[in-house]
Amino acid sequence: MRMLSKRNALTYAIALLLILSLNFILPRLMPGDPLMTIYGREALVQMSPQLQAELVHRFSLDQTLWQQLGAYFAALFRGDLGYSYYYNAPVFQVILGRLPWTLLLVGLSLALSTVLGVVLGIESGWRRGTRTDRSMLAGLMALNGFPDFFVGIVLLLVFGVILGVLPLAGAMTPYSGLSGGALVLDVLKHLALPVTSLTLAHLASGYLLTRNTMITVLKEPYMLTARAKGLSQRLLKYRHAGRNSMLPVVTMTGIWLGRLVTGTLFVEIVFSFPGLGYLTYEALLFRDYAVIQGVLLLVAVLVLAANFLVDLSYSRLDPRVSYAR
Amino acid sequence: MHVDLKKEVTHSSPGRFGIAAFAVIVLLALFAPLLAGYDPIAQSVHSFLAPSWSHPLGTNHVGQDIWGQLVYGARTSLLVGISVGLLSTLLAAIVGTSAALIGGVYDSIVMRVVDALIVIPIIIVLILVAAYLRPNMWTIIVLLSLLGWQGGARIVRAQALSLKEELHVAAARSFGAGTRYLMRRHIVPDLGPILLVEFVYTMRRAVFMEAGLAFIGISDPNLMSWGVIMREAMEYSYLNVWAWWLLPAGIALSLLIVSITFIGHSMEPVMDPRLRGEASA
Amino acid sequence: MLSVRNLQVSYGSTHVLDGVDLDVEQGECLAIVGESGAGKTTLGLTIMRLVETEVRGEVLIDGVNVLALPEHSMQQVRWNKVSMVFQNANNALNPVHTVLDQVIEPMVEHSVRDKPDAREQAGALLARAGLPREKHNSYPHQLSGGEQQRVLIAMALANDPEIIILDEPVSSLDATSRAEVVALLKSMARDHTYILVTHDIATAARLADRVAVLYAGTILEMGSASDVLSRPRHPYTRALLRSYPNMTTVKDLQGVKGKMSRETAGCPFHPRCTQAIEACSTRQPVLTPSQGRHVACHRGGIITLLATENLRKSFGQRKAVDGVSLSIESGETLALVGESGSGKTTLAKTIMGLHPADGGEVYLEGQRVAVRDRDFYRQVQIVFQNPGESLSHRLSVLELVREPLDIQGIGTKEERERKAIRVIGEVELPTDEDFLHTYPHHLSGGEMQRVAIARALVLDPRLLIADEPTAFLDPSLQAKIMKLMLGLQEQRGLSMLFITHDIAVARKVSDRIAVMFDGKLVEEGQASVLTTAPVHPHTRTLVGGASDLHSAFHPT
Repeated sequence: MRMLSKRNALTYAIALLLILSLNFILPRLMPGDPLMTIYGREALVQMSPQLQAELVHRFSLDQTLWQQLGAYFAALFRGDLGYSYYYNAPVFQVILGRLPWTLLLVGLSLALSTVLGVVLGIESGWRRGTRTDRSMLAGLMALNGFPDFFVGIVLLLVFGVILGVLPLAGAMTPYSGLSGGALVLDVLKHLALPVTSLTLAHLASGYLLTRNTMITVLKEPYMLTARAKGLSQRLLKYRHAGRNSMLPVVTMTGIWLGRLVTGTLFVEIVFSFPGLGYLTYEALLFRDYAVIQGVLLLVAVLVLAANFLVDLSYSRLDPRVSYAR
Repeated sequence: MHVDLKKEVTHSSPGRFGIAAFAVIVLLALFAPLLAGYDPIAQSVHSFLAPSWSHPLGTNHVGQDIWGQLVYGARTSLLVGISVGLLSTLLAAIVGTSAALIGGVYDSIVMRVVDALIVIPIIIVLILVAAYLRPNMWTIIVLLSLLGWQGGARIVRAQALSLKEELHVAAARSFGAGTRYLMRRHIVPDLGPILLVEFVYTMRRAVFMEAGLAFIGISDPNLMSWGVIMREAMEYSYLNVWAWWLLPAGIALSLLIVSITFIGHSMEPVMDPRLRGEASA
Repeated sequence: MLSVRNLQVSYGSTHVLDGVDLDVEQGECLAIVGESGAGKTTLGLTIMRLVETEVRGEVLIDGVNVLALPEHSMQQVRWNKVSMVFQNANNALNPVHTVLDQVIEPMVEHSVRDKPDAREQAGALLARAGLPREKHNSYPHQLSGGEQQRVLIAMALANDPEIIILDEPVSSLDATSRAEVVALLKSMARDHTYILVTHDIATAARLADRVAVLYAGTILEMGSASDVLSRPRHPYTRALLRSYPNMTTVKDLQGVKGKMSRETAGCPFHPRCTQAIEACSTRQPVLTPSQGRHVACHRGGIITLLATENLRKSFGQRKAVDGVSLSIESGETLALVGESGSGKTTLAKTIMGLHPADGGEVYLEGQRVAVRDRDFYRQVQIVFQNPGESLSHRLSVLELVREPLDIQGIGTKEERERKAIRVIGEVELPTDEDFLHTYPHHLSGGEMQRVAIARALVLDPRLLIADEPTAFLDPSLQAKIMKLMLGLQEQRGLSMLFITHDIAVARKVSDRIAVMFDGKLVEEGQASVLTTAPVHPHTRTLVGGASDLHSAFHPT
């Protein structure tokens, strides 16, 4: 097992540094009283003077920039991301409440779109140049062109508004008092459309990458070796070509995760799904700046962590990697 | 790598479709004032009108002509898309070639920054910055460009690096060619097609992001945008007006992105000659 | 065991294999040799039915035509009956599976053995192929090229197939691993039937019982390995051997003129052949048995261009040429070596008819030469020892070279002039007006000899007799003229009778050497053999007296 490479560690450090400096510097670059620029005019109006004084003290907002920086990091260590005036609660707590919903949505769609994309890519690449391959390619590329929020809107209109078979909004039926199996079913019903939208919108990435790799892999001499061994088509397709074609997909999942966050944001808004995306949207609407900053930091950390995991698993999939480095 | 881009694109049917659809949207945008008939911002008392001869797509909640909004929206999409495409590609070209040619510490630092920018969820950064800045179209263009060059820089660098090692460049060096000559005769011509593909893809991302940002409320208040139309229409999705209010903007946006995708994909053999003759079939 | 009948493979309009017939017996190793692009690899892949293109003809394995089998039955034939050792230039092994798993795979998938049994067998095979146990669970990239090749060999043996196709099994290896892998292959030789596909003649010679020479999709010569590779009968086989660097050939490397083309009607080799006749360009020759091997040639293989039988010539009491019988094949250089006065020049002049013979016969392409008419001289030309004497001082360079054409009355004056100028260019002389109108006494010795050569070549003869052509030149000019003559031989497919007193020179330019002593031929043989192991005492004297820097510095 390979440890975190120096190169990747540096990448993660730079990414984190960029986000932190953005969070710290951006509001302080704005003209005006730091408390106001960090929390926004709307927030100040609603905050009690005690709370305002408390925040100024907590983040050393009346001190020099360096002391503010020290206080900022000290707070980060305590898990203190500031205060949300709109939810009237610490930002960290607000985000933590929404995080599971987003993880569920992103996890399901990432898994579904990757697995489906890889399988379709392998099948399509195997049939390269045939009519099936060409129509799959055109179809998925077209699908790739549809923005995820528009896919969501269309699904919402078709299944929610016209057919009325699936719920329009939320993550579960409010005040229904459901429990056990019925609750799970209710949540799945609410998840169906958002997950489908995201999966459809991201299917093409995995598909296109797998298909392209598949086409080059099929020309490799070891495929001729495998055919000469008289192996069945299934083995040729999946054990020999497919395994090799999957490799770049794995490298990309980390990056796709970042992109999926964008998609989730839009899709959550379309379906009023109570995850981080919808939270960000609400925060934007109500100018609850502290929440946006917190979401940015937390999502960045999560994406970096996921990338790290992908890095680790890659060396297990491709023996050449651990050897080469 | 000597590929005829024009041939690659026009010889694939998705490529031809992409060019045609893109051309239609460009024409819509160019002749928007002629096609619109109404000022897209002008409000009237005739709200929620169904499509008719005078209002081909009806009117919205404040009585604005939706068809007019749609054709003016094409202008915004294309303007943002093309500007961001140009700016990001320029940035990618500068960063990528300089990293490849200079190398060393500069190269490794720049590339780590590129990697970092690739994993950061850009959309939230945009939302945060937009929340503070309350942007107009130009700040959106600059923001999207500043956050959209990293993937291209990586590709350009890889290509420039392999070019540097290639024998025809080595041969030119062995005849005593200087850096400027190399750039002019060998590096830039070979990078050209790649930059063009990169431009196409950044344009695509920019069109999508512009609409997405407008959809969640980050847009220039003085400009019409397909994202804005969709956001406003979404609020009335319970009324039966979405068919002519919401869908046309969504379809137009999708068509534009699909057409750019097809154009870009048909150019891809340029990036990976191994795909030639199969992907474009 | 394996029979290939009229096998034709084409990609679009290109015929990669054009009617191949061959049989391989049980336990035999047949080598398919040829240049790259000859269709060797395609032949191997077609036997396993791995080419995705139009295939006609039959591939019979144990009497079953595998080309007609349904795909699922073919899958059973692959590896169970025929397996293949692939060229390991790049990635013949899948990079993401361990080599042991890849050797196990065919046994398990074909249900030859169960998994644990297969694992054991694969370990045994890898060990037998010389891969140490601790490397069995490695991934391909962790092994050296030679080790990967051993894995491929072990894998080919996995299902104990009847036939193993070896496709350039050692070409990508360095010399040391190559020797080891060849030794390994040699040690397994009797257990299976092998088809060795290679362009490496040395490997073919080491491993094969029989050799088939493939050219542009057709077999041109087939026979026992030692026969074909040491005494080629087809002009192409000889050309292939001549262009192959090895430690036994002493003559300078020569390529084959022109390049391979598949678009020709008739014999595919005829555009490059030195002895092509009209039939060669219209009909494709069939592979026919002749003297213990098979040759596909309208001329029956390399022909004897000129032969003398018991040729005699005396000047008074002195027998200058005393019953000489020799033969020169088409495209061959025969060096005639002897001391001055041994009768070499007399022999040449007698052949040319410049001295009437006292007895014996001269045959040109098997026909007895009764009178030496213009036709004879169009085919046989001579370059004399001293160009200064053989070139008339009253004629300019152009007139000199044009003279034979004028005498033969070939073409118009302009045509003759153009031809002469072209040949002057061919011998690397300037062709500007000034030079063309120079007279011989203004030329250097080297230039004069080139003019003499041009004059001899202007009639496009098929045999050039060169009588000590470099005797009057200093060593560097001598080397240049010799190179020129070798180049001309390659370009024009000339046969040459090269007369010299210096056996070291003969060794560099000739395929065969005949040693003349007192008007008789005393020894004759392949240049390499004759110079390294001379038999006749006189030959030994010649070899011992030849220039040898090594023994000058290290006397034994």
